[in-house]
Amino acid sequence: MRHKLRHAALVAISVIMLAPFYWVLKTAVTSENIYEYPPHLLPVRPQLFNFVDVWYLIPFPRYLFNSVIVSLIAVAGNLVLNAMAGYALTLPFIGRRSVIILLLSCTLIPFQATIIPAYLITAHFGLLDSYLGLALPLLSTIVCIFIFKASFDAVPRSLIDAARIDGLGELRILLRVMLPLSTPAIATNVVLSFIWSWNNFLWPLIITRSPDMQTLPLGLARFLSYMEDTTGALYAFVVMVLAPGLLVFLMAQSAFMRGLTTGATKG
Amino acid sequence: MRSRPRARTRLRSRRRAAVVACFLAPSLLIFIVYRILPLIWNVVLSFQAWSPLRPATWVGWDNYDEMLNDDDVFWQALWNTVIFLASQPIAIALALGVAMLVNSDLKGASVYRTIVFLSYPLMTVAVAIIWHWMYNERGGLINYALRQLGVVGHPIAFLDSFAWALPSTIVANTWQVLGFFMIVLLSGLQNIPPHLYEAARVDGAPARARFFRITLPMLRPALFLCLVIGMLNSFSAFDLIYVMTNGGPGHATELLITYIYKQGFGSTRFDYAAALTVAQFAMLLVLTWIAHRAVGGNAGAIE
Amino acid sequence: MTWGRILISRFFIVPIVLLVAIAGWNVYVELHAHGLLQGRVVDAAGHPVPNATVILSVHDFVTQVEKARTRTDRAGRFRFDDNNSHLIQLEAQSGTASSPRVTVRLWFRGQDRTIAEPLRLPPSA
Repeated sequence: MRHKLRHAALVAISVIMLAPFYWVLKTAVTSENIYEYPPHLLPVRPQLFNFVDVWYLIPFPRYLFNSVIVSLIAVAGNLVLNAMAGYALTLPFIGRRSVIILLLSCTLIPFQATIIPAYLITAHFGLLDSYLGLALPLLSTIVCIFIFKASFDAVPRSLIDAARIDGLGELRILLRVMLPLSTPAIATNVVLSFIWSWNNFLWPLIITRSPDMQTLPLGLARFLSYMEDTTGALYAFVVMVLAPGLLVFLMAQSAFMRGLTTGATKG
Repeated sequence: MRSRPRARTRLRSRRRAAVVACFLAPSLLIFIVYRILPLIWNVVLSFQAWSPLRPATWVGWDNYDEMLNDDDVFWQALWNTVIFLASQPIAIALALGVAMLVNSDLKGASVYRTIVFLSYPLMTVAVAIIWHWMYNERGGLINYALRQLGVVGHPIAFLDSFAWALPSTIVANTWQVLGFFMIVLLSGLQNIPPHLYEAARVDGAPARARFFRITLPMLRPALFLCLVIGMLNSFSAFDLIYVMTNGGPGHATELLITYIYKQGFGSTRFDYAAALTVAQFAMLLVLTWIAHRAVGGNAGAIE
Repeated sequence: MTWGRILISRFFIVPIVLLVAIAGWNVYVELHAHGLLQGRVVDAAGHPVPNATVILSVHDFVTQVEKARTRTDRAGRFRFDDNNSHLIQLEAQSGTASSPRVTVRLWFRGQDRTIAEPLRLPPSA
């Protein structure tokens, strides 16, 4: 009986969490006048032509391309930098504790508290309106460093000692011993850094100057100021914009969940 | 013969120090350039008067004076931010409920987990548009449901009313962030050793005592992490507010972060925006310290 | 991670399938995008109407703008050869009778389409 109650509660929660998805999807494929009351719960004469209209109305491939490039740079940078930093934090050295405390306190500095100077610094480097400038603040994140560190800490000491005795340098130890054993941490890192760079809105809003360097979130926000007709074109655009992110997430989600729920985010 | 191992150890530790420095350097460089330096620059800038064409002049407390005494929008934004922050513990409590429901050998628990978490990886701009539509008076699901269920007779303009705008955006934000809180709390729940529950059950403790005496204390690190994330959320809610209401009817949904953006990049008053940023950051520090004390003075398993 | 495992993993298969689908779609579009539009005009009784005027108009942001006109042949058929829009409206006129506007939505610009339902002229008074 308890099981049935749990299932019922979870189903109710799932319905609430999925309702907005369904509503937007329904609005994107319906043929009715979407501002007419009462709205129908099911799409009326479902059709996909809103997507065709949106495709020709806004430069979706360009925005997609920009977002993909920036996210690729951010994810690659994150993997390399975070793995190196996470590994360095597992080695004993003087001042390790201070560095850890410094990094932990940096997590308290939200990105939004740095936008004005970050903008000025990026302008000073001449990186405004460029892919590198868009990706640079996201090239390394502290949370992911600690995810790697926790994963590396769990590697049995005997393996590391054996590798050291074999004469492997630290870089080789990282590549040959640590990383292959930390696939959940890698998956978590990739997914988190992809999500944060793909969905980033404020930084591209400040940094981009020309319309064809804009990323998907900016393109979506810009579309709001287009004329609003009574079709679901805007919501078709929303569906198109959400599809790649959801696809990547669903592909990686099992490894991602595993990486997060094995206690790798403690602290 | 004796000095050789010592020399080797010295060489090894020096080489290791070099390796550590090399490995840490790029990440530290990013954080210094994009986190620490901007924070310090913001503090300095808040005491200056600076327009981009003229050099900066030192004006002391003028910006703060204007902020606290002459600026009504600041106080409204501050109040809204406080309400927003107060909603985060409620969201955390809800997430705890969901986490406890999911944390069992229920068939399909991972499916429920994914469904609840699905809202987090979405673009906040898209979430804002989705919920803006959900609240629409004519085409929105919420008004439709309320009217069909007979709760109200005519549609409520959620995002246009002074009273309902902020709670509406808070609901949208909770929807998005619930999954993340749930995952953090779930991992915390799964790390509680079951033998504690066994012992309590053997001793005859009721479920409520088990919850308050075992679950909550063991969840302190996870709860602290959630509280910190919740507070940082009041900064990152910029995307949601900017797209959903852009500060709302009047300034009803103006958060400090949207006001900072408007002052900094709308009116190009970098110095004033810096003062606002410092004020919000100071509030964040104070609240984090309070949260730190509230979970018992130890932020959990931090090294 | 051996090459075999990488090839079978979903991170490889899904992008490859997507790329193949996109390439296939582009090939299809190239082959079928000549801007050809064909149809028939019939009167109220169902007989084909020769020498009727058919007007093609294109959605231009807020209004419909006339792009081309043509006349039907003896069998009541018409064709347009250089349509490059994806959202068009057709209207047939003969004498004083004009058919209701028919909206044609295409999957891509310039898609070749033979309109199944003929344009019906109302009975003239």
